[in-house]
Amino acid sequence: MIPAEAHGTIALRASACTSCMICVRECPTWCIDLVSHTEQVSEAGARRPKTVNVLDAFRIDFGLCMYCGICVDLCPFDALAWSPEHDHGATTAAGLVQGIKELEMAWPPTQPPTGN
Amino acid sequence: MNSHGRIDVAPADWEQVVSGLQREGFTLFDFITVVDRGSTLEVVARVVNPVARVPTMVWTTLPADAAELASLCSIYLGAAWCEREAAEMFGVVFIGLGDSRPLLLRASLGEPPMRKSSALVARAIRDWPGAAQSTDDGRQGGNPSRRRQLPPGVPEDFLRDEPLVSGTTGDER
Repeated sequence: MIPAEAHGTIALRASACTSCMICVRECPTWCIDLVSHTEQVSEAGARRPKTVNVLDAFRIDFGLCMYCGICVDLCPFDALAWSPEHDHGATTAAGLVQGIKELEMAWPPTQPPTGN
Repeated sequence: MNSHGRIDVAPADWEQVVSGLQREGFTLFDFITVVDRGSTLEVVARVVNPVARVPTMVWTTLPADAAELASLCSIYLGAAWCEREAAEMFGVVFIGLGDSRPLLLRASLGEPPMRKSSALVARAIRDWPGAAQSTDDGRQGGNPSRRRQLPPGVPEDFLRDEPLVSGTTGDER
């Protein structure tokens, strides 16, 4: 029986990610890879369009990750969280790289993000 | 000694203070390690009184460019291993340490690898994922007008904009 608060894997909520790159830059093992682009968004009532980052790819290489959780702690938007899921089995090293789809499957985490 | 069991001593008193602790009942040697503070190195030894179950830590500060300290081997035989490690990783010279051969690395490697001044070669030769920036067209590479961000642990001019010379990086480790 795996406790619900177990640090099994790191889950992503892509809709909360602003591509700020803090997790990528602070990761001690360089296991996070993020690709994004900017788009202009026009809002009603705004004088000029707003530039926003759009997330294209987010990958964690669990072959490099040491599960320190620094990315989870530092994410200002609670887009990363611990999840008790722990299904990392793969037959190749490349199979340990998880993208947005796999990382979102571990969401929602059972622990509510801090600060909410 | 303060309430946290910390003693700060001058390098000259290092051996004498630890020897006194050993006579007072701190007969168990735990470890010696080093903290790099830039221009100084702090050396810390942790010893334990196993009867009272009380640990204490002895700290001393050495200049980084002349890091010499008396060995504790004559007090605790087991200190030799930690001192060899500290000598290899931080370049501290322990006077009186009999066998100071490196444990892991080749003697000819140069800069002690745990010093902050020692560049992390593995980081310099790999592209840092944190250097990527959002681009208007989704390509990686970033806006050339913005200052390029460097990963922590790599000096600004280290192995940048020059070809890697075979035999000087990577395959040495």
